[in-house]
Amino acid sequence: MQRSEKAQAVVDSFRKKVNRQAALSFGICAHCGQCTDSCHYYLATGDPKMAPAYKADQVRKLYKYHTDWMGKVAPKWVGGKTVVSDEDLEALKEVVFGNCTMCRRCTLNCPMGVDMALLIRTARSLLTEVGVAPQGVLDVSKDQWEHGNQMAVDKQDYIETIEWLSEELQAEVGDANAVIPLNKEGADLLYAINPREVKYAPLSLLASAKVFYAVGENWTMASEGWDNTNFGLFSGDNALGAHMGNLVFDAVERLGAKKLVTSECGHGFRATKWESPNWTGRKLSFPIENYLETMQGYIQSGRLKLDPSVNAEPVTYHDPCNLGRSSGMTEEPRFVLQHCCTEFVEMHPNRADNLCCSGGGGAMSMSEYTERRLQVAKPKADQLAATGAKVVATACHNCVDALSDLIKRYKLDMRVKTVGELFAEALVLPERPARATTEAIGEVRRKVLVVDDELDTVTFLTTLLEDNGYQVVSTTDSTQALELIRQEKPDLLTLDLLMPRMAGTDLYREIRAGNNGYGNLPVIIVTGISPEDHPDLDFRQFIYQHSLPRPDGFVEKPVEKEQFLLSVRKVLESAQETQPVA
Amino acid sequence: MDQFLKVLEDEVQLIALAFMAVVYMLRIRWLLKFPASRENTPSRGDERAGIAYAMVAIAMPWAMESARKHWTKYAEFAVFHLGVAVAIAVTFILPYWPGLIAGPRAVVAIQAVLALAFLAGVSRFVKRCVRPDLRLISSADDYFSIILLDLYLLSAFFATPNRSAWALIAFFGMTTFFLIYVPFSKISHYLYYPFQKYYLGKHLGHRGVYPKQTGSTNLQPVAK
Repeated sequence: MQRSEKAQAVVDSFRKKVNRQAALSFGICAHCGQCTDSCHYYLATGDPKMAPAYKADQVRKLYKYHTDWMGKVAPKWVGGKTVVSDEDLEALKEVVFGNCTMCRRCTLNCPMGVDMALLIRTARSLLTEVGVAPQGVLDVSKDQWEHGNQMAVDKQDYIETIEWLSEELQAEVGDANAVIPLNKEGADLLYAINPREVKYAPLSLLASAKVFYAVGENWTMASEGWDNTNFGLFSGDNALGAHMGNLVFDAVERLGAKKLVTSECGHGFRATKWESPNWTGRKLSFPIENYLETMQGYIQSGRLKLDPSVNAEPVTYHDPCNLGRSSGMTEEPRFVLQHCCTEFVEMHPNRADNLCCSGGGGAMSMSEYTERRLQVAKPKADQLAATGAKVVATACHNCVDALSDLIKRYKLDMRVKTVGELFAEALVLPERPARATTEAIGEVRRKVLVVDDELDTVTFLTTLLEDNGYQVVSTTDSTQALELIRQEKPDLLTLDLLMPRMAGTDLYREIRAGNNGYGNLPVIIVTGISPEDHPDLDFRQFIYQHSLPRPDGFVEKPVEKEQFLLSVRKVLESAQETQPVA
Repeated sequence: MDQFLKVLEDEVQLIALAFMAVVYMLRIRWLLKFPASRENTPSRGDERAGIAYAMVAIAMPWAMESARKHWTKYAEFAVFHLGVAVAIAVTFILPYWPGLIAGPRAVVAIQAVLALAFLAGVSRFVKRCVRPDLRLISSADDYFSIILLDLYLLSAFFATPNRSAWALIAFFGMTTFFLIYVPFSKISHYLYYPFQKYYLGKHLGHRGVYPKQTGSTNLQPVAK
């Protein structure tokens, strides 16, 4: 049988991609099965095809067939097999993208020390090169190549968001001089973030800014090279990895910052601190630290005062894989949490032995595997529940999303916060004025259309928005929404996804269809649905499939007032700066 | 018969051993041709400590969850490998220093280890046939290797008293086959072991992951 073009390309690249560490990991496995139940995929399903050794073997087959001495002579004897068709590649994709988060828990439990994540990443690299990868991974990678950040935030939008957040900071700390510095030269630290903090989780960035303000830090952010995330780590594309690393490193050197601090993003920190210097080949003249280390330093130096009683609920900590198992960062977050909450409960197992959140390795962007991801999150859910904590703190935005999803799926009575958010909440500032309403700070009354089939939610959001100076129009019937948009010309739409007569996804597509006069209407998705209950309403998959732009905001139910209002303000502010609403 | 056994124990073994050494050297040379990735960053931890930890982690069952959870399997693994090491030692002792194990106590002690190792080997073979996760990853080489090693342990058991010529011929005949076959089979995983552990330990030591942190499990807030 003749090899397909893609399969031939994979075979041709294979030998070039195998380095010494990979060759050793390919060759040393004794098939002892000791790793089997260290994997959360196996623990949750009991499926032997989810055992790490099996998954690694799907890549190892290639090594055995094309590289191993015995395998070249008698491939079947040693389990060697090559890829021939595109179907073979699809099957491999299913294993290396769909069944592994590259969390490395199996590696630390392997008596031989086989680095399974390295093998899986090698296979991902081969597949990505021929375009065989989940659409989400390809899309995000494309955004990083083209826009320099994974959420395709354009420069103007980014700058306006930072400016708007500066205003929020001023209101928060009651100081008109408080700012988030942008492109300041010679700062002591340059802060690189996860684009999620600009797009959907501004509270997180605001929390860091508040801390920097409180200690009087000489810091800055960059208008280019500000994304610390790196899909090169997930896709196996070292060229993308180097590209993203160079953007951030160039920013530090351009601005002459003394050190680079990455925000709470597990893979972002690992990629920036450890992998990017390898991918780029650059010898850096500045240190790179994680925001956890920065917070720890502030506490140790006595530069700020904390009131842990603000965080009185039991808090546990989830070690992100890229920090605990790939960066040795396990004690810093515990040190910080000890100082900013009153009851810390350890999770078991923990540190390098912790279970993956189930969303690592880029899994959050692979919407086709959402149901599987949530299914295999069961051991993690049990681990969380056993702590009895009400808050699970973590230091990774990816983990925040994955843990939030599984908490919803398994109906756990807890919520997720970043360590930085808890830290900022415990921060004692000289005075904390009450937040001004939109009217009080002189804004025009903006009109918000709330579309949700649940009357309780409509009432809640309407009251919340009206109390904060907004004009609200609402409906519980999604089919009326388009008519209301035409009549009322709202400045913003908050949209539920699960509605009986017309699903929010369809309404969103209708709005974004263009040529209707309201294609640019800002939309915040407000939803409590789990993709596994309603796969047809998996929003991530939906926007990838229909090539739709991402919504302007995304808020999960139950709605947290502050987060919701912050999103509303951010979206309205951005919309006002960029384009008029029809 | 005696002359044949003498040649088998000595010259044949040495030739086979030399063959194995040459193949291993070629294999290492081949392995070193793969470029090694290197860390281009300042170390967060201690690479040497990481390497040392990685090397000995296998002897620290408490350090790995997979060994803690399955301690009987770990014990089986330890006994089996100890038996193999003893059998290899016997291949040198019998022809060159037979006096070392001439006493009945020494023979019984060695046979006891070999017998336990044989039983552990049988258990491992049965598990490989029965456990779905192991069956799924097992190649012909995996089955053949475990059967071969079990037979080898058995032959070592009967050869150890150094009385039966047929037992000795079987034992040294198998040893010869092993010396030639092993470099091409999965059994050679031990050759990779120091290299693999060196690179993994260096990598994880550099990043401060190895030696693994255990920390306090009863953290208390420091400020109220």
